[in-house]
Amino acid sequence: MRAVVKGKTVIIGMGNPLLSDDGAGIAVAHAVAERLRLRMDLTVTELHTGGIRLMEAMAGFKRAVVVDAMLSGAAPGTVQRFEPSAFVTTKNTFSSHDTDFATAYDLGRMAGVALPEQVSFWGIEAREFDLFGERFTPEVAAALPGAVDRIVAELTEWEGGA
Amino acid sequence: MTTRITIDPVTRLEGHGRIDIFLNDQGRVENAYFQIPELRGFEQFCVGRAAEEMPVITNRICGVCPEAHHLAATKALDGVFGAEPTSVAKKLREILYMAFFVTDHTTHFYALGGPDFIVGPDAPPSERNILGVARKVGLDVAGELIACRKRNHEIITFLGGKSIHPVAGVPGGWSRAINAEERSQIEATARRNIEFARFTLAIFEKIVLKNPVYTEMVTSDTYLHRTYSMGTVDANNQTNFYDGRIRVMDPLGNEFVSYQPAAYREHIAERVESWTYLKYPYLKNVGWKGLTDGMESGIYTATPLSRLNVSEGMATPLANAEYQRMYEAFGCRKITAARYEPIHHRLATHWARLVELLYASERMLELALDPEITSPETRTIPDPARFVGEGIGSVEAPRGTLTHHYCTDQRGVLTSVNMIVGTTNNYAPISMSIKRAAERLITSNAPDETILNRIEMAFRLYDPCFSCATHFLPGKMPLTISLRDSQGGLLREMRRKG
Repeated sequence: MRAVVKGKTVIIGMGNPLLSDDGAGIAVAHAVAERLRLRMDLTVTELHTGGIRLMEAMAGFKRAVVVDAMLSGAAPGTVQRFEPSAFVTTKNTFSSHDTDFATAYDLGRMAGVALPEQVSFWGIEAREFDLFGERFTPEVAAALPGAVDRIVAELTEWEGGA
Repeated sequence: MTTRITIDPVTRLEGHGRIDIFLNDQGRVENAYFQIPELRGFEQFCVGRAAEEMPVITNRICGVCPEAHHLAATKALDGVFGAEPTSVAKKLREILYMAFFVTDHTTHFYALGGPDFIVGPDAPPSERNILGVARKVGLDVAGELIACRKRNHEIITFLGGKSIHPVAGVPGGWSRAINAEERSQIEATARRNIEFARFTLAIFEKIVLKNPVYTEMVTSDTYLHRTYSMGTVDANNQTNFYDGRIRVMDPLGNEFVSYQPAAYREHIAERVESWTYLKYPYLKNVGWKGLTDGMESGIYTATPLSRLNVSEGMATPLANAEYQRMYEAFGCRKITAARYEPIHHRLATHWARLVELLYASERMLELALDPEITSPETRTIPDPARFVGEGIGSVEAPRGTLTHHYCTDQRGVLTSVNMIVGTTNNYAPISMSIKRAAERLITSNAPDETILNRIEMAFRLYDPCFSCATHFLPGKMPLTISLRDSQGGLLREMRRKG
């Protein structure tokens, strides 16, 4: 077995980079990492589907940030932050093949998986999500820098409090 | 005149798929369809790209089965470039695929299919999940499931070159060989998989087969559809997930046809209906007779159960013993020395999936012990003189036969792309099972939760994955069923919040 050396914080970008706005979470995750790479021990992970995989992607880290496209009915480009306790699901954090994140998280706990103490979820409202393409719609493209700033601020604050 | 009942997810989160149930004037279910919008623009997205990109593009289509798409795409490229993979390359591909099958089938059983039986079909959704299974079977099972996924994901990661989205498939082979240490890890993983598969079958026996209520449910005519069965078989006509001929049996268990995957268009046609943009695949040489079963209807099924129905026993010993036990439990007669009459009771698909889990584990061990498996000869370099410009790649995805078909120009630039994804094969049978559930329940006085559960069970046994084609995710989706009379008046509304 290979030893896995993991850092303190993981930022998980969810979605499909080939499905227009569905790639927003992945783009934000990479942009956040780019800004913080020299300042903190940060791992970036891309995930297409949630459920148990999402719980597994957090295993071994102290802190986790999940960024995903969202289809809540809000205006495209709206950015929302969710606490795990209030979290239901964003577009890809649920898996049709297993379960929602809350159940997966409890499963991990039950199985003795080391899960992060701090977790936050960020949703970016998508407009185009069922069309193959590698470009964001203008509303979503315009919202990305703001989402990156807010997540950078949160991670900086978490790091300061550590 | 018919009335339409619509079952709509209450939020857009799970997409905009819905189930339509049509009642006639007598208040009986006339028909049930599910309608799901497909992702748009895939062919346009691919045309004009270099064909070699396809294994890494198509494995992004679906978060549930990237390995299946990666291999179907790689096999299609073997055809495009006229490069027959080396023998060890095929085996390495198959090892990756067995590791994937083990994780996929175990996850389905413990998280999706199993809870209906282990916790009970009418238990509240908050308990009818993997956590409820662990409470009932023992908390260790949660750790076992996580450990099983972890050890197989490690194999997929080093063999595939990347976690989650493999990149190692290339036309004519595989881009890396394995060393002796990696081979040992694969062997150890396979041995543990076999133990876990046997443990899982033992749970199934103890909790499901020894419970008369469940055996009655599994053997009842709820979700009984006598369709044709499809699956991929090797040279001995035994189930193989990675490669072989497509074998189709009629509802009585006679071989209807056996063909090379490349000939799929001679055998499979797609029915287009005006009320949905889903296309229903059916057997061209039987014909489309609507959403109905029997010898005259070209509807076929491509699931773990149908794969076993077309197989002359299983190619590995432990799985073969379980295969025999399953058919004998259903009182099936032997048709050949190794094969039985087909089982059409759809709930038996859950059992068949566990037989396949054991087979995949044993097959992984066989491949790990193959003397040439550490050979460095993992690639046939494509020769421009052998370039073909068209390729069809096919594998058995956990949820049905998956076919990729590419055409290119002389430079290898894609000019057309076509796919039949696993779940698509089963659109017609899934609709039939929904209808059956609706007929039994919709006009009864059953509680809302029971109706919602039973309609979900109709989906779930097919292990459908619509990520490939759509955003409709029928796991525990928020669900609303509106029951209307023939005048369109609302009789009853049932709702689950997810």
